[in-house]
Amino acid sequence: MEQFVDNLALGFSTALSLKNIGLCFLGCLVGTLIGVLPGVGPIATIAMLLPVTFGIDPTGALIMLAGIYYGAQYGGSTTAILVNIPGEATSVVTTLDGHQMARQGRAGVALGIAAIGSFIAGSIATLVIAALGAPLTKLALLFGPAEYFSLMVMGLVFAVVLARGSLPKAIAMIVVGLLLSTVGTDLETGQERLTFGIAELSDGVDFAVLAMGIFGFAEIIRNLENPETRDVVRGKIGRLLPSKEDFKQALPPILRGTGLGAVLGILPGNGAVLGPFASYTLEKKIAKEPSRFGRGAIEGIAGPEAANNAGAQTAFIPLLTLGIPPNAVMALMVGAMTIHGIIPGPQVVTKNPQLFWGMIASMWVGNLMLLIINLPLVGLWVRLLKVPYSLLYPAILLFCCIGIYSINNSTSDVIFTAFFGLVGYALLKFGYEPAPLLLGFVLGKLMEEKLRQALILSRGSFATFVERPVSGGLLLVAAIMLVIALLPAIRKGRDEVFTE
Amino acid sequence: MAPDQTGDQSVPHAARGTQDIAAGLFLIAVALIAFWQAKGLPLGTLRSMGAGMLPTALAVLLGAFGIAIALIGALRPGVAFERWSFRGLLFVLGSIITFALTVRLFGLVVAGPLTMLIAGAADPQTNWKHTLIFSVVLTAFCILLFKVALRLPIPVITFL
Repeated sequence: MEQFVDNLALGFSTALSLKNIGLCFLGCLVGTLIGVLPGVGPIATIAMLLPVTFGIDPTGALIMLAGIYYGAQYGGSTTAILVNIPGEATSVVTTLDGHQMARQGRAGVALGIAAIGSFIAGSIATLVIAALGAPLTKLALLFGPAEYFSLMVMGLVFAVVLARGSLPKAIAMIVVGLLLSTVGTDLETGQERLTFGIAELSDGVDFAVLAMGIFGFAEIIRNLENPETRDVVRGKIGRLLPSKEDFKQALPPILRGTGLGAVLGILPGNGAVLGPFASYTLEKKIAKEPSRFGRGAIEGIAGPEAANNAGAQTAFIPLLTLGIPPNAVMALMVGAMTIHGIIPGPQVVTKNPQLFWGMIASMWVGNLMLLIINLPLVGLWVRLLKVPYSLLYPAILLFCCIGIYSINNSTSDVIFTAFFGLVGYALLKFGYEPAPLLLGFVLGKLMEEKLRQALILSRGSFATFVERPVSGGLLLVAAIMLVIALLPAIRKGRDEVFTE
Repeated sequence: MAPDQTGDQSVPHAARGTQDIAAGLFLIAVALIAFWQAKGLPLGTLRSMGAGMLPTALAVLLGAFGIAIALIGALRPGVAFERWSFRGLLFVLGSIITFALTVRLFGLVVAGPLTMLIAGAADPQTNWKHTLIFSVVLTAFCILLFKVALRLPIPVITFL
């Protein structure tokens, strides 16, 4: 307990330095600014803003990125409530009752309760992370190469099972990601692999280039296909602060949503996405008048928004303790850490306690910041939502180009990004989800390293992965998950969860 | 996590999953390219893996998935292959490549507005007057932000 307090104190002393508060604020602000744009989800937002953080020290950069992430999440909710366009899968649920409330002239209260619910959820989730962080890292330090490899396999399997769409297609995307990670000079033998003789590829595919192309540019092209029909709420936003009654009605769903979201968020894969859905279903089930849902029930926003934010935050747990990103956003965080020379994993907490605890404390600061930024700035977001897409996307493109160019002052990086934009667009058209690709890409190098180490130790025998109890157990869990996902009954249920 | 890309309500269905057939063929092509590139690399043994082991193994695995996905598409009714928006592809990617080609040659003063104007052509709803004014304003803003404030070494004007 004492250690817990000490750790948090260290974290807050880092996060509350003037510079880091500033970065957190800036991150939240630009994150919301981009996240509010319809059709730009958190992944695209982070991918686009990644280059901005490269000039900053690692702790500051990660604090800013986390701020961008929360900002983007909240921006997505704002869009969901005001325009009825979910910026991302997790805010689909928010559109149901949020937009109805907005139509009834209660947009302000909807936005307010979303911000307050997110803040409460974020505060609780921060404590959960702080409490689980240290023990889990100790556990991870006992892992050998075989265990690590199996853990990553399990993480990828979870990612596939909990993702939307076809299972074989998701696995295929992971394989493509792994394949892309082998491009460049082989670390052990120094030989160049899959470089097509292009000198710029000998360092491998740049993470920011891949992410910006596949998530940023591909999404812009995709959005252009659908002619815009935007239904920005006209009329008054109304008062922002919920009344005492509203708050009383919303508090229990917020707490239940926080619990659900926090637990689901830790799961590898898109666990965080399930949180809002689960929370909405739960609230509707236990409500006295379920018919109010879909017609502007405040519980229908409070619960899912809290679940969303709690899940978004506990998703950091596998990343910070085990070094395994549970979803594409966390994969982007891994990329950002690696660029700053930090290899995510259990060693971060011992080698870089300031960074580790500073980031955790900054999560709480970031949530507070969002509450402060968003309530007074709602008017600005509403105005921004009225700017037509045809004017916005050329600006986004220019920003992205400058960002990519600035990473290495390289024009070839810009051209590679355009190429990955084409690839990303093709993947969307073929019905592939790009998120597993990014996960495979991020984990690829580490997986290959651990695989090689494990096979050297076992003298070339694959049996080592099954024979070592922890490694075997992890693989067994992965296998069971895969089998369950393939059972027809469950598959149908899974499809329903994602299409509802 | 990504926004709803499938447009759930109105997925066009077809007698055969032409989308899956195309998706499978795409994977097979990627697998063949990777296999060809990894061909000269030593495989090594399991005990000490060579540089080519993993890429080759992944390429084979990917090819197998490609065949399976294409077969699923060919044998079962499924989602129809969607039309590609070549206008969007051409002008969005064209504007990015234009940026890459002009930023060193002329500097941001030219590359900025040029990129935004070419990108503007991707959307039929573009209001050219607005985009033109906005591109000049935004370029000026970018110069102030990236060059003056953040001091990134990005060329601003190279021809004067």
